Parts: sequence; structure tokens; C-alpha cells
Amino acid sequence: MKTTRFFGGLLLIACLLLSLASTAALAKKPWDKIKTPELNEVKMPAYERVELANGMIVYLAEDHELPMVDLSATIDVGAIYEDPAKVGLANMTGTVMRSGGTVNRSGDDLDELVEARGLAVETFIGQNNGGAFLSAMSEDTDLGLELLADILMNPAFPEDKIKLAKEQQKAGISRRNDQPMTIAQREAMKAVYGADHPFARHPEYDTIAAVTRDDMLAFHADWFGPDRMYLVVIGDFDSAAMIDKIEQAFAGWAPARMDLPPDPEIYDLPRTVNVVDKDDITQSTVVLGHKGIRADSEHYAGVMVGNRILGGGFATRLFNEVRSRQGLAYSVGSSSGTGFRNPGMFMAFTMTKSESSEKATDAILAEIQKMIEEEVTDDELAYATDGILNSEVFNFDTKREILDRMVMYERYGYPVDFLQKYQEQVKNMTKAEVLAATKAVWKPDNMTILAVGNYADWDGDFSKFGPVTMVDITIPEPALDIPDATPASLEQGKAALVAARDASGGSKFASLGSYFESATLEATIQGMDLTFTTEKTVVFPDRSYTLVKTPFGNQTMVLAGDKAWATGPMGVRDLEGDDLTSAQEDMAKDLVSVFRDLDDLQCQALDVRTIEGRECLPVHVSGFGDGYQIVFLDDAGEVVMVQQPGTSPMTGAPVTQKVFVEEYGDLGGFRMPSKMRLTYDDELFGTIAVQEFTVDPEIDGALFEK
Amino acid sequence: MPNRLRIPMLLTALVVVLAAVGAPAQTYLDLEDQIQEFTLDNGVHFIVLEKHDVPVFSFRTYVNVGSAEEVRGITGLSHILEHMAFKGTSEIGTDNYKAELKLMEAEDVAFDALKAARRASVPVLQKYDKLLNDIPEPDQDQYRTIEGFLKDQPIDVSLDVPSGGPREMTEGETAAVRINHGMGTETEALDEFQVGREEALAIAYYLEAVKDAREELMNRENDFEAAKDAARELVVTNEFGKIIENNGGVGLNASTSSDVTRYHYSFPSNRLELWAYLEGSRMADPVLREFYTEKDGPVTEERRMRTDNNPIGRMIEQFQNLMFMANGYHHSTIGYMSDIETISRTDCQAYYDEFYVGSNMVVAVVGDVKLDDVKKYAKKYFSDIPRGQTLPVETIEPEQLGEKRFIMQDPSQPIFIAGYHIGNIRHPDFPVYQVIADVLGQGRTSRLHKKLVKEDKVAVQAMCFPGFPGQKYDTGLLVFAVPVKDKTGYDMETAVLAEIDSIVADGITAEELAAVKQRTRANFVRGLSGHGGMAEQLAFYQTYFGNWRNLFDEVTVIEDVTLEDVQRVAEKIFARTNRTVAVIETTEDES
Repeated sequence: MKTTRFFGGLLLIACLLLSLASTAALAKKPWDKIKTPELNEVKMPAYERVELANGMIVYLAEDHELPMVDLSATIDVGAIYEDPAKVGLANMTGTVMRSGGTVNRSGDDLDELVEARGLAVETFIGQNNGGAFLSAMSEDTDLGLELLADILMNPAFPEDKIKLAKEQQKAGISRRNDQPMTIAQREAMKAVYGADHPFARHPEYDTIAAVTRDDMLAFHADWFGPDRMYLVVIGDFDSAAMIDKIEQAFAGWAPARMDLPPDPEIYDLPRTVNVVDKDDITQSTVVLGHKGIRADSEHYAGVMVGNRILGGGFATRLFNEVRSRQGLAYSVGSSSGTGFRNPGMFMAFTMTKSESSEKATDAILAEIQKMIEEEVTDDELAYATDGILNSEVFNFDTKREILDRMVMYERYGYPVDFLQKYQEQVKNMTKAEVLAATKAVWKPDNMTILAVGNYADWDGDFSKFGPVTMVDITIPEPALDIPDATPASLEQGKAALVAARDASGGSKFASLGSYFESATLEATIQGMDLTFTTEKTVVFPDRSYTLVKTPFGNQTMVLAGDKAWATGPMGVRDLEGDDLTSAQEDMAKDLVSVFRDLDDLQCQALDVRTIEGRECLPVHVSGFGDGYQIVFLDDAGEVVMVQQPGTSPMTGAPVTQKVFVEEYGDLGGFRMPSKMRLTYDDELFGTIAVQEFTVDPEIDGALFEK
Repeated sequence: MPNRLRIPMLLTALVVVLAAVGAPAQTYLDLEDQIQEFTLDNGVHFIVLEKHDVPVFSFRTYVNVGSAEEVRGITGLSHILEHMAFKGTSEIGTDNYKAELKLMEAEDVAFDALKAARRASVPVLQKYDKLLNDIPEPDQDQYRTIEGFLKDQPIDVSLDVPSGGPREMTEGETAAVRINHGMGTETEALDEFQVGREEALAIAYYLEAVKDAREELMNRENDFEAAKDAARELVVTNEFGKIIENNGGVGLNASTSSDVTRYHYSFPSNRLELWAYLEGSRMADPVLREFYTEKDGPVTEERRMRTDNNPIGRMIEQFQNLMFMANGYHHSTIGYMSDIETISRTDCQAYYDEFYVGSNMVVAVVGDVKLDDVKKYAKKYFSDIPRGQTLPVETIEPEQLGEKRFIMQDPSQPIFIAGYHIGNIRHPDFPVYQVIADVLGQGRTSRLHKKLVKEDKVAVQAMCFPGFPGQKYDTGLLVFAVPVKDKTGYDMETAVLAEIDSIVADGITAEELAAVKQRTRANFVRGLSGHGGMAEQLAFYQTYFGNWRNLFDEVTVIEDVTLEDVQRVAEKIFARTNRTVAVIETTEDES
């Protein structure tokens, strides 16, 4: 165990603070005449660093001004370590650690204890770090420390609090498209890093549903341990006594099970231009970005200075040009793109009215371009460096800042004098160095663009920046949970379908011998608007003839009992095996067939859910071989949607097919869906309109002969 | 400590001087005695707390004016003025102030002319629109296209219509529009469309009026743009903020609420005089330059961001409109779009003259400063502010006579809000409101959180707080609940009202009250940390109570609240007639 004590260190940072305003050549303005006396010395507060036997690093600084103690723990854990199929696990683990309580006291008891004493105890797990925080009156220090340690070491993860955390996550997902700014931030990360990148991915209903209590227990055991924890303690205590208390509180805590993996790689991807069309708003949010650099890069200081001139402050080029001069935006700015742990994201953003979306984006890109082409002016350089150097004292104005910075340097392997060296570089910075840095790091042509707004009202379609991809932000519905059938759910399902059948024509279905139906399908495929017509003759129980007229020629598909074949421009092909089964299933799954043969099918009611704004009862219908479909019925017995596994007509890949009913009509005396919308994996494929429906038509027997 | 080694770590490249830091510990109990204050002759009140541990200081300037002081027609002006306080003075932000003044006057004249043109064009455009609405497509579209041409400058449109105003066109008369788009002239006979002669003539007649109105508008807009450009030539953009950043200022910002306007940042302590110069002169001698650019640009965009394009912002604005019918809390701080559009610099200057006066300002400074220095510089730089006399707004919100409801159909997810009228922050029952709000809806053991979030899992969030939208005037206790997926705002209403009813019927428990008191003590101490936080609290209490010492009574006034107080007040404020409810009802078409 090592302890390093910094006895009331008086760091002469003052030497760096002396570089006072070098506000150059200008004529003396009234404020330049105001004297600036020498700044009082910055006294580095006394603090201590202790490494406990169990590997925990503790930084302590006493402060007796107020009778309070603050402990904050930083833990090497994060969502980047979670299973991509369980996105949300890390975040929920951080929540339930606190809300669910420990093996020693329930979450509710913990709440009562904490609230009764006015303590604050919280835990969280973020993208690449986690933490815990305690704030207590000094008289409650022992209690607070005991609770904090218990939470970190022995979380119970009870099922009811997991359920609660899941409900919160689901609500968050359902609300994530309510505000343009959150859409822009989320989608920009995906556009720049790649949608599945650990820094960009986000939870979906299915990834939340996949998380179990065992996952949380494992995640905690894998990543939490004293060897992963940095504790910063500030306040009204005696350091030596506090160290003993911490050692006791965390005694017996096992180290984390997993080795820390390397952080995910960030790639420098070429520009893409992405648009989220949201037609109910009057303002656009535009984010531009690409991969940045780590703070240990040679260009760090140059880029920091450059960004202070470009857009990282109050009186920057972007602010002056886009906000003040052109009056285009309320907010506009940039971030340097530097990170201490990972390369940051060089980013510029604005919010502007729809009609100036492209103009503002252009203006931003032009300013960045200037930054990499021409040297900044002497005044700008002096302004930026003076600002950095003169505000240097604010790096030392609270003990928390100082100690948090120490923890950060230690975690990411920076020298303790990193800040001092940086200040030195800034002080000596030249215009050429700024240009060299911005040129090396910023690539405006490479900046990926993400814009959210009412696309139809924009002053340009953004294609001047590159091929535009429209981003669909529709929230994927959760997969349906299909529990084991019970007599009650089967009875309820059958009753619902019987009611639906009765609303559509009732007993007439049972006596239906054959029908003819013609329908059109209008679809947009690869930019072409195409219309297909299908003419179908069905003879119960086991024959059907389907003619599909396409712009590329006609095809037929015939099912005749246990034989089936297809004809097309390429000739005749027999359908056997799976193809035959699927032809038989297709016939049986048609809604007309389902209503006709309802007695032979198994119908299981599932949990109610909202489809198209209507409350629906989903009924899982099976009995057509291995296949099934789910029919969503509203109160009145109308079919709202039918969902089933299908095959993409474009790629042949398995997809979820949904048919949404848009209109009901009179089809040969039956009240049936007459206009429908077809989607594959929630993407619109086309609309279907029934043109003709004849009951018991004249049948040409030759149809069913090869 | 047998295992513990203490070795000094080498701080390379740094000079480490051993020195005792141990300044005598001051405790929060004697904090009150260390606070000093003085008032300038013009009424500006200064509060100073010397803290010499780090060579920095923070301040808050509180101007006792917020949107609640605005009257109809100038809503949003307090906030616009806050933006203008960053535009500089007669010395800061200009190349030539005298010349600039003249140009700004010309800008004002051009704006008034534009406003008049806009006003005049409205009935003409409306009438034309009504005429077109009566005729069938696609002719309607053609007429609209022609009207559209009139908006665009490069296309030369002229009309050939019979004189005499709307009347039946006689045999042989024609009406036509000639459009010259640079590659020749096209003539469209207006009576060729599928409309009667009378309608064609009326349309033609009004089209001429539209053309005149459009032309007038375009000219006034051009004049206005030219005047703005001319004035901008002499502006040194953002010089005020630049001086602050250049000198190491951090946290530069300002905010406007229904009650007050606040300005703040932090400086290295050797910039005290510079600060006094900057802050004093922007209060005494602001120049409202770039007024129109700021108002039509950033201020308008801010309204779009906060209100128009933010479902909760949209909801809160109209909720407020409904809940407060008479007093200044009726309208939002950002103001109505139509007011933002029409407010002139003259309006702004008059508002500034009335409210930015010494008797209406409090400045709190906390940090490495000496009282004598603050006094010296305050006198030197803040004395030019006129004393003024601001009269309080006398309109009192009348008693509400029945429940009010606002159902917002919106594509966003559902939310529930309920507001109950309560007294202002100086009302003797205000501490009781705070206790009720705490027990009902603050923290993990509050009734709403326990029942709606933890037990029934119907809400993701359910909270309550007193003082919406402000605290200076009689105000509201706000309860809001955010449902889980697939639950509605109405589900929240049922659940929230049940919890409120139970407090009205049975009051709260002695344990709940004791816990509130303990939390108040802890939060009070927490609130004293940090320079900025301390300056904020001192300025707040001085402004709202006329005495910063009320800050130190915060704990006692809560200590005095009894269980009987809670029940008495709950019964009174939670009456159904005192309630305003708003719900977002989610519509289908969310994109």
C-alpha cells in the first residue's frame, strides 16, 4: 500500500498565470487602461493519494468550511462492455444497484434511510465509465459510507426493481423521437461512428427485454471491484480516520472477474449525408462531425486554440458569422474533437429555421474550410491564447476539479503535469502551429452531416454535400411475447376471431365453395413506381390458381391438392417440398380461408397492444403446418393488422411481413379488408387494393391442369 | 497503519513549496456574520462575501424585472433585453458611436415603415385568399401561382385589369396578367379560367391590390435590410463577450424568468475593476445595437427550439395561458411570436428605462475580493445608473371559480400536469407549500414516486414543486407525471389525484414531516458551497425578500411547520375549483 501526501503544496502555477493579456497593436480602448494587478497566488490545496491493499485508489482533501462530506467513486465499467443483444444492461445495472438495494437491506428501506437523513446516494453506469456518489452531513458520514459500500459490493438486483428499470427504459425509447435535439445527437453519433458501434448504439425494446437478473449479477461481478475504483473524498473529516473507515467499509470485496478489454476502435469514415424528415417542426438541427484525436496527440494544443477561434466560445467565428451577423441561429458552435481516453469527435452544430438549413450548413463548412486554409490573425491568436491562459486559475478553483483531474490523468495514463505542459504550449503557440494542427485534424470535406427538420421547407435538399440518405427513425416494435397457450387464452382467442368472422359475413364463410379475386399492388422498387395485378381463383378445399401480371411479364402459380407448379417467361417449374408446403400454407393463411376454416385452427389471445393508435387484441393463429400468423383485432372485431414471418421479395431473406388494413369494403357480400398496406421489417413495400371479388365464379377446370 | 507507506510523489516540472494552508476553519454558522453589504446613492444594492482561498470571484446581477412585468403587445421583451445586454455600450462594440446612433435611428424608421406595410397587407391578402377559396381546383392553384410570382423579385409581373373596382365585367372587357420571366412575356387571361366573369373581375381587382401590397412590402423590406446592413458596418461584433473571455472569464451567461433577469460569470480576482467597468456600463449605458438581427434571428430561433418544436414547451405555454388569466404569469417568458416580430427598439429602450434602474438592482459578489475595493469600483462604475422608481404590478390573479382543463392533441408521448394556485414566496404559508410539495413529489420516498413509480409502475416520473412559473407574485403548485409506455395522461390524472386526496383527507405523518425538516437542513448546507451558488442565493433572497438574511431563516421557517398546517393548507389549495389540468393526448402521426 502506498500513500503519497502533498503537504499543503503551494504550486506556483502563478508563473503560468503571469502571461497577461497581450492585446496587441490596437489603439487603447477604455478597458485597456484599467490596471490588472498581479494575481494572488494559487494555493494548491493539501490532498492525499492512497492506494489501498485491495487496489482501490483514494484521493482525499479535507475541507472544514461546511459540515459536509462528499465521496465520489469512478469505476472502470461501461456500456461498451455489454452484449450488443442486450444494450441497456449496463445502464439498468447502474440503476438497479441503487434502486434494488442490497442483500442486507431492500431498496425501499434504503430510500427511507437516505431520505430521512437528507443524504444523497446514487450510482450510474454510462458509456465507458461508472460511478457512485455520496453526499452527507458530516454527522452522517459513517452511515453514508456504510450504505455506499454495501450498494457497490452487495447489490441484490430484485426482480421487481428490474421490471421497474425496464419500464423506465421502454418509456425512454417510446419518447426518444419527441425532441429534435435528442434525435440529432443520437443519429449523429450513429452516422459518424457507425450504427452498431458501442459509442453509438442504443437500446431497443427487444434488447431491454433480453436482459435478465443473472445478466446483472454477472455484469456486476465481471466489472466491479476495488481494483477498478477511484474514490475522491472531500469535506469535513480527518484524513487518517477516513482512510481507516474506507478500508473497513470495503473490506473483503473481491476484485473484478474480467480483465479490462481494449476500448473499441473508432474509424475515420468518409462523409455521409443523412436527413431525418420530421414534418411537424419549423426548425432544423444540423450536426457535422468526424473522428477527432486524443489529448496526447502532438496537435492537441493547436486544435484547442483553433477551436476557440472557430466555435468553442462566445465570440468565435461561427458565433459571429452564423448567429450574430447572418442572424441564422440561436445556437451554433463547434467542439475541438479531442478526448482524453478515446479520440473525440470533431463536431459543429447549429439550430436554424427550416428555410436556412442549407445556408447555415454551408456557412459552417466555409468557416471550417477557412480554418484549414489560412492562418488565423494575430488578434485571434492572442484572443484565444489569452483566454485559455487567463482562465487557467479556474482549473484550480474547487478541490473537486483538482482531484477529479488527477483521477483522470491516472486512469488514462497522462502525466500529472499534463496541464502545465499544455499551458506552456498554448503560451508559445504560433499561427503556423494552429494551421498545422487544424489542417492535420479537421477535414471539412469528410464531415458526416446529420440534419433533422421539416425537409420540404428547406432551402436546399443537401445533395450538394453528397448523396442524401433519408434516415428512418421509426421505433422498432418489440417482438411479440408468445407465452404457452392456456385454455383461457385459447378460448379468448377463438371467441375474438369468431366475433371478427361474424362481423365480416358470419356463417356465409362456411358454405363458401370458391371465389375469384383480382387486386393491384403498387410498389416503389429501386426508385421505380410499379404496379402488379394478381388474379386469383380459389376452389376449396385445396386448389388455387394465381396469375401475377408484372411489367416484366406474367407468372402463374397453381396449387392442385398435393401438387403445385409455377410458370413464367422461363418455363414451368414444379414446386415440391418446402415450396409446396409454403404454397399450401399461403392458401390456408388467407383471411378468407382463416374465417372459413376457423374451427380447425388454434387461436391464442396475447397481451393487448396498441397498433395504429387503436387498442388491439393480438391473436396467434396456428394450424397451417408449422406456420402461424398474428391477427390484430380491435374492439369492433375489425382486423387492424396481420403479421407473419415472410421472405423479402427483393433479397429472399427472412423478414417480418405486416399487412395493415386501411379500408374495409363490400367484397361479394362479405365485409372484408379492401385496401391494405404491406410492410417488410417495418419498411413500406406497397399498397394493395382489391379490384374485384366474385363468390362461386364459373371455374375453368383447365386452370388446374399442367 | 502498519501497511501504509507515505512517500512524496515527485511533481516533475513543478515547484512544490511546502507551506501551511490551514487557514482557520470558518463554519457555516459564522458565515452570516461575514456577509457585508452597502447601497449606492442610486439604490443599487451590493452584497459582498470575501473568500480568499482561490484568486477568483463570482457575481450575480439581479434585475428585478421578468416577463411578469410585461403587458400585452410586448411579451418576450424582458428576454430580448437580456440578449441586448451583451451587445455593448457606447464604448464597447462600436467603431463610431455617434455615427452609429444616426444609423440606428434610420433603422428604426425603416422598421416602423415595414411594420405599417405588413399591417396594411394583411386584409388584402386575406381577402384574396378568401376569393380563391371559393373557386375550384385547378384554377385556384393557377391564381395562387400568379400570386406567388408577386413575392419573387426577379419576375416582372404586371396586370391589365378594368378599372372601377369589383363589379360585373361587361361584354368585351378582359382582365389579364403579364408575366415577364426574362425569356419573354406570357399573358394569362384571368377570365379564361372556369369562373364566372364577376369572380374573375373581383380576383383581378384584388390581384392588383395584392401586387401593390407585395411591392410595398418588398420595398420596405429592402429598405429595412439596407438600414440594418448600414448600421452593422460600425459594429464590432461581440466585443463585450470577447473582452470577458479574453480576460479569463468563465461561465458567461444570463437568464430571464417570469420574475427576474440574471447576469453572471466568474473572473480571476485581479479583474475586479475591469468587471465593475463592464457590468456597470452595460447596466448604465447599454446600446441596443443589432436589435432587429438579434430579435428576428437568435431570439426567434430560441422560441422555436424551446416552445414551438418542443412538445412540453408547447404544452406549458398554453397551460400557463389557461391557469393564469389575469396576472403576469399568464404568458411565457419567451413571449408570443407575433410580439417578438413587432416589438421595436423604441419599445425596448422604454422598457429598459423603466426597469433597469438602481432601485431595481442587486449585485452579489463572492470570492477573493475586498469590500473596500468593491465599494470603490461600484461607486466609480455603477453610479451613472438612474435611481428610478418602479411601481409594482398591482393585478392580482382572481380566485378561480372552477376546474380548467386543456387537452393537447399532439404527436408526442403523453404527459400530465396539474396546477393549483398558491400564494407568493412571502406568503406565510409558503413553507407549508414546500413541505406539501416535498412529501407529495420530491425524492424517492415521496408519495407520488412510491405509489406511481415504484409500486404501480405506471409512471416513469411523478413530481411536484411550488412556484410555477415564478415566486414573486401569487403563483402555482405544479404536479406533473410522465407515464410509462402504453399508459395515458388520464391514467396519471387518476393516480395523482388519489394521492392528493389522501393528503387532504389524512394529512401527512409525523415521520414524513421530520424527514422533510432533516432534508431541508442538509440541502441548506449544500446550497452554501461554491462562489457562484452563494452569490446566487444572496442575490435571490435580497431581491425576493428585500433582505438576504432570509436565506438563513430557510431552515427555521420549515422547522415551524406543523402537521395541522399541512392539513389546513392542503385542504385549501387542493380544492377542485383551484385546479388546472393539462394532458397530452398522443395522436397517431408521429414521424
